[in-house]
Amino acid sequence: MVCIRQATIDDLLAMQACNLMCLPENYQMKYYLYHMLSWPQLLFVAEDYGGRIVGYVLAKMEEDPSEPCHGHITSLAVLRTHRKLGLATKLMSAAQAAMDQVFGAEYVSLHVRRSNRAAFNLYTSTLGYQIHDIEAKYYADGEDAFDMRKPLRQPQPKKHHHHHHHHGPGGCCSHDVPAAAVGSSPQSSNSPDKRANT
Amino acid sequence: MGSSLPPKEANLFKVIVKSYETKQYKKGLKAADSILKKFPEHGETLSMKGLTLNCMDRKSEAYELVRRGLKNDLKSHVCWHVYGLLYRSDREYREAIKCYRNALRIDPDNIEILRDLSLLQAQMRDLSGFVETRQQLLSLKPNHRMNWIGFAVARHLNSNSSKAIEVLEAYEGTLEDDYPPDNERYEHSEMLLYKMSLFEECGMLDRALEEMQKKESKIVDKLSFKEQMASVLFKLGRFDDSESIYRSLLFMNPDNYKYFIAVQKCLGLYSDNGQYSADDVERLSSLYNSLKEKYAWSSAVKRIPLDFLEGEKFQEAADNYVRPLLTKGVPSLFSDLSPLYEHPGKANILEQLFLKIEDSIRTSGCFPGSPQKEPPSTLLWTLFLISQHYDRRGQYEIALNKIDEAISHTPTVIDLYSVKGKVLQHAGNFAAAAALADEARSMDLADRYLNSECVMQMLQADQVGLAEKTAVLFTKDGDQHNNLHDMQCMWYELASGESYYRQGDLGRALKNFLAVEKHYADMTEDQFDFHSYCLRKMTLRAYVSMLKFQDRLHAHEYFHKAAAGAIRCYMKLHDSPAKSSTEENDEMSKLPPAQRKKLRQKQKKAEARAKREAEEKHEDETASSNSSKSGKKHSRPVDPDPHGEKLIQIEDPLAEATKYLKLLQNNSSDSLETHILSFELNMRKQKVLLAFQAVKQLIKLDENNPDSHRCLIKFFHKINSLPAPLTDSEKLIWNVLEAERPDIRQLHGRSLIEVNRSFLEKHNASLTHRAAAAEMMYLLEPDKKMESIKLIEDSTNNTSSGDNALGPVKEWQIQDCIDVHKLLEKVFGDQDVANRWKARCAEYFPYSTYFEGIKSAIAAYAVDRSLDSSPENGLASNPQLRLKEIEPGTLNGTLHIVDDLSSLSIR
Repeated sequence: MVCIRQATIDDLLAMQACNLMCLPENYQMKYYLYHMLSWPQLLFVAEDYGGRIVGYVLAKMEEDPSEPCHGHITSLAVLRTHRKLGLATKLMSAAQAAMDQVFGAEYVSLHVRRSNRAAFNLYTSTLGYQIHDIEAKYYADGEDAFDMRKPLRQPQPKKHHHHHHHHGPGGCCSHDVPAAAVGSSPQSSNSPDKRANT
Repeated sequence: MGSSLPPKEANLFKVIVKSYETKQYKKGLKAADSILKKFPEHGETLSMKGLTLNCMDRKSEAYELVRRGLKNDLKSHVCWHVYGLLYRSDREYREAIKCYRNALRIDPDNIEILRDLSLLQAQMRDLSGFVETRQQLLSLKPNHRMNWIGFAVARHLNSNSSKAIEVLEAYEGTLEDDYPPDNERYEHSEMLLYKMSLFEECGMLDRALEEMQKKESKIVDKLSFKEQMASVLFKLGRFDDSESIYRSLLFMNPDNYKYFIAVQKCLGLYSDNGQYSADDVERLSSLYNSLKEKYAWSSAVKRIPLDFLEGEKFQEAADNYVRPLLTKGVPSLFSDLSPLYEHPGKANILEQLFLKIEDSIRTSGCFPGSPQKEPPSTLLWTLFLISQHYDRRGQYEIALNKIDEAISHTPTVIDLYSVKGKVLQHAGNFAAAAALADEARSMDLADRYLNSECVMQMLQADQVGLAEKTAVLFTKDGDQHNNLHDMQCMWYELASGESYYRQGDLGRALKNFLAVEKHYADMTEDQFDFHSYCLRKMTLRAYVSMLKFQDRLHAHEYFHKAAAGAIRCYMKLHDSPAKSSTEENDEMSKLPPAQRKKLRQKQKKAEARAKREAEEKHEDETASSNSSKSGKKHSRPVDPDPHGEKLIQIEDPLAEATKYLKLLQNNSSDSLETHILSFELNMRKQKVLLAFQAVKQLIKLDENNPDSHRCLIKFFHKINSLPAPLTDSEKLIWNVLEAERPDIRQLHGRSLIEVNRSFLEKHNASLTHRAAAAEMMYLLEPDKKMESIKLIEDSTNNTSSGDNALGPVKEWQIQDCIDVHKLLEKVFGDQDVANRWKARCAEYFPYSTYFEGIKSAIAAYAVDRSLDSSPENGLASNPQLRLKEIEPGTLNGTLHIVDDLSSLSIR
């Protein structure tokens, strides 16, 4: 029904449109470009039979040398009209596998709104994330975020989730608060790698 | 730098440079001033002071100082470099390049300037210059990896892949055998994959394969590697080897359709147009049957066969496909099947299948022939599917009955209301559609998707104010009211612009269209930082594809729509200019001097007050928006023209329109709309030859299109009515047209009246073609008005072919009928005929508010609140008023809104 594949540069505008349809945390095109030009292996899309982008995952590697090598899910969204297909699970699995294989990530982290039960359930029961920390008032509207993590470098219980489709969350999944520096001032961002998110 | 200064001042000069780099501008300014106290005309200091002021938002002083500095020291590369940086900061890249070149004439080996120059050359796609600069950088600093890579990429971009490979191999020659160290593995792997892609690109397939086999262990991106290997093997004709790699890729990801297509191609079982012989269909069936066993969990293996199977086999496969999805309640089932409606005959098979399932579930609670009891929700999802089916077929009444039944079955399923809203939208009742979407939204306020869909419907219904209030529920960012523009939410701006245009508010319409245009300009700008970044990161494949993406960015659908919208606004402004300030001045000049003075003072005071208030408000906003975790907000300049009132005061709207037309011509030359706009615009500008070019393009793209026909006739009708040429240039134009005329096949030896008649005969059964022919008949022979009108009224709304289980489907589309109504009203100017047409269409489209059909009363659908009709909220609830807004021209009369989500996709 829906094709899961690595994103190409031509998908970015559709990914941005999909994000703006579904999620309250939005990013300018430059931030999508930054992901695509830094870790092209970590962006995946769900494309429906008519060629429309109905979901995506935008992910990155954290490059702080003081921490162990790990990936981070910046944003994940699936259109409300395309629920019940297990797309969020498939997108996440694809990005996680690439973090592990290409970059040797030890674990992967993400932020999720405290109130987003559907997404929380997906991350904990289906994908094996655990709460690592709580970031108070992380989101612009004052809501807390769960800082969640999942180890990648241990024997995985299961590689494929295909046998049972999980009822993923509605359209609305995670994520990061947009980085302000990505925003309005081009002068502030001479080198894209300085604009790490969160 | 600063060499001509005594030691103390030379040190101060270093302070200026350092302060500039560390953004301590005040400190730099102080140092500059103390040098200038002693040496007031020192060129480099003046320049640096200017550059510093530029960063402090004092633009005009900056330019003055930099220019004065340069004048005082034309031989200084610093002064030229600074001048270049100043231009660069204003995105004046061509000027900046000139300055850098002058600087390099003085100091040819200055690495910093060469690097800055190379970035600009990449940005401006001065590819031969880029190669030259990168080569020079490499010869100056061959021990830098970045210089090797930069030179290779430059050669590649300048269409010389094989030379690029040579550079990369030479670079590899400088590396030790055990390269790379652990922390460079990714970068090295990316470089190798880039090189392999270059081999493939220039057709050196054996070399590509050899390289891949040799370097496999150094590649960390195994997925790309495998995909590329499979692709190279395929091109080498080694189909078996290629196929087995694609099968292993399928094992990793059985949801990637591209791998299935690739396997088909390896087996010689793929056709671009989807047409297969009976034999091929047989082979494809057995292929997918075997794949189904291997990848039981893949939905693709079940869906793809629906494309190539026909008749009974199709019906059987579709039946097996939809059942589990109906049991599960997958909301996207219809949209998944909808591409099949393009295949002849399949829609009817699906209709019968769906109705059979519905009947069986109703009577027995089971699928046909199955003993298994279905849960109650299966009926709900079956009705949901069938409703969308009839919506797609244009049978809105049945669609609404089915969805209403689903709603009374389970009133809590939100998706039902969304679909009902869509059906009403397609049936022509936008206000009711918006009310339904709002109902859906109110059922889950935390879901932005429902909010967006509702906003879209409200804009379609011209309820702009309400739409904004609704959108803002999700777009508050700190104290900032609405971040839709900052976040480049283009569908919203486009739909708002189109709504304002429909309502005749050209200022606000332009404001929105130009906002979208600006997003594209910003995206072009976005690439700048990545020219150096990607060379460091080594993501070279991604970088090169990004540059290609940028080169076709303006071909994107949203840009096209925004530019077309802006051009239409400008043409309208030309046709009926907005009241300009000079006219107001004229009015003022009629007053006695004393009164005039008073009035002026009053105006000035009011302006000053408005400005002060805006600034205060702005300060408030910036002061209190630091609270959120996302860090500091950048101060935002106040928009001096929030409603686009200044935009419509423009002196030469057609010149503005021409700017955007050029972008369309360069990037969307295969779109009819581009050339229709070009025709309209150039006719207004009396650029006969350019208008003629547009006509030629239209004929070439689609000579049967009604608008192409209109332009052809209008053009030659106009030419024939011109007086004989007098001036030389007029005679020249005349000669060109005479020379070209024989190339237009339609015109051969025939009068325009005959051309129009034969167009009509050829497309006699089509409403839109008949309308075009009638309009042209009236243009050519104004005395035949009644005959023209009769042509339209005699059109028949036939039943489309195919057997339909539940009544016939009429051919006419609602939008075409609306266009005809406008034509009768505005071009023919005959209200009686228009009313007759309206009454007739009200029968065909009973839900349409435009035609005031019997089922169009908003009250029947409004859910829990009445829609107010303040001007901001549009005039949707009053169709009489809406009609008055419609403009006379027919070609530029219709603007179709971002229809629904499906037009959001980028293909």
